[in-house]
Amino acid sequence: MHESPTTARAANGDAAARAEAMRAEFEARRQRALAMGGPAKLARRREQGLLNARERIDRLFDPGTFIESGLFATSAAPEDRDRSPADGKIAGFGKVEGREAAVVANDFTVMGASSATTNARKMGHIKRVATQRGMPLVFLGESSGARMPDHMGSRGMGLQLGNDGAQYQRLRETPWASATLGLSYGSSSWYAVMSDFSVMRKGAVLAVSSALLASMAVGEEVDAQELGGWKLHAEVTGFADLVVDTDEEAVDAIRRFLAYLPSHRNEAPPVAAVPGGSGEAMRDILGLLPSSRTQVYDVRKIVRAIVDRDSFFELKARFGKVAVTGLARLGGRTVGIVANNPLSKGGALDTDACEKITSFLVLCDSFNIPLVMLVDTPGFVIGTEPERKRAPGRIMNFMNALSLVTVPKLSVVLRKSYGQAYLNMGGGRNSDEMAAWPTAEISFMDPQFAVKVVHGLSPGDEGFDAARASMDRASEVWDIASVYAAQTVVLPEHTRDYLIRMLDVHELRMTRGVGQHLMRAWPTSF
Amino acid sequence: MSRQELNSEVTGSVWQITAQPGQRLVPGDTVMVLESMKMEIPVLCEDGGTLVELLVAEGESVAEGQAVAVVVP
Repeated sequence: MHESPTTARAANGDAAARAEAMRAEFEARRQRALAMGGPAKLARRREQGLLNARERIDRLFDPGTFIESGLFATSAAPEDRDRSPADGKIAGFGKVEGREAAVVANDFTVMGASSATTNARKMGHIKRVATQRGMPLVFLGESSGARMPDHMGSRGMGLQLGNDGAQYQRLRETPWASATLGLSYGSSSWYAVMSDFSVMRKGAVLAVSSALLASMAVGEEVDAQELGGWKLHAEVTGFADLVVDTDEEAVDAIRRFLAYLPSHRNEAPPVAAVPGGSGEAMRDILGLLPSSRTQVYDVRKIVRAIVDRDSFFELKARFGKVAVTGLARLGGRTVGIVANNPLSKGGALDTDACEKITSFLVLCDSFNIPLVMLVDTPGFVIGTEPERKRAPGRIMNFMNALSLVTVPKLSVVLRKSYGQAYLNMGGGRNSDEMAAWPTAEISFMDPQFAVKVVHGLSPGDEGFDAARASMDRASEVWDIASVYAAQTVVLPEHTRDYLIRMLDVHELRMTRGVGQHLMRAWPTSF
Repeated sequence: MSRQELNSEVTGSVWQITAQPGQRLVPGDTVMVLESMKMEIPVLCEDGGTLVELLVAEGESVAEGQAVAVVVP
């Protein structure tokens, strides 16, 4: 049957009108969702110099690549539907330096970004997609915790909590990075401490629950910064890998962290171009090491000289300072650096440093990042205090983790390597290659104390000087090289070239750079 | 202005004071050098500031965690 031209025109007009109406409703609903908690709350944030959740996402992803999931989601409680755009947690996918990543950004202007039924479903979806499709997951955290009164009562608990047995399971399939950008309680804190990288903005608070609730619980005023401020997490708990001053710096730090990492555990990290000028400082590197064995120095200067120019990204700089951990590149390849830092406590390893190194070994092994260890330690800190801090357990967790590492491990002894710490820092076949500078001294204990223990002599006693000189000679690098426990002696200025060549040699060719991830279920904090 | 105490990281003795009250310190400056475990261990002012008070003198023993100087930002 033929349609008359008039009928067809009318139908077209009708379709155009319907499309127009559809677009208008879509656009109106979209705009309401994009308005977040409304202009007044957004203006207040701007005045405080803070970015809102959508601005943070814009900064995280390459321009134009963000695709949102759940823009039209709202609270499941009918009375809150109209005041809960995106249900307070904005989610989706975008690209970081051209590579796909997933994000959940808490929108504090919507019901304090509190956790509730709908946004828990969003979060679950984003986590599943990130894990199954192999991309990093980013949390931009700022949340008042569980939404009230939704969670109250046994019915509330039954409906809200515990409906996903894997919610807080971590098997390190893909990298997780989190930023704590304001008050952060409950799940926002849980995800921060479960992440592989956690950056905190000064002024933010990361804690189990609010200072108000804590004050009620202990019956005295609790200061929010003391409860969970940046100083606590940078220096005491070690939960903050990095502390920054602004939201912008925090988001930039996540982009930088992800640039060193593979998208998932079944690929090698990306390779970058080697910046011009890399290795230029090698010629003078010996000048960074004091000539006297009793003088200290900052090992980070040596690290920066060895790695590709400006590539050193230090993690937990203010925690467990006797050890330095960080990501860097050598010849364009991502490496994990573990170095003793004599500048702090002479480089003697304490329990905080053991935990810091252990968690870093887990990070590197889980994401196929070869390790480079720079050794200068007189040993573990001994005394009553470390024993009370469970030093033997910490030292053995560190040792166990090192033995479970399946990525290439290279170690270079710069100066001291004594006792059990010799093993923990890669000696005794605990690294794939151990090299030593001619300045290295390796023994069971410092010669000063060894003369007393072995010969019963103290400084000033007859024969002390001769015994000491003999001990010093026996600690020199040549003896350990002669029994092939050090695979080579390397001149300081050749260290960078040596490490780059050894990374070539030890490349995991059989598995395209992928390790076994034996520590994928290791605890995410300590 | 908030006063910030600098603490000794180690048990040892004060070997040398290297900064004086009133002195302006840039982040990472050394305030004093301690002797511990036969090593010379510096006490650093990590955040920078002005040194307002020294709480120990050369030759004195210090315990781990003990406040040894005060700075203000």
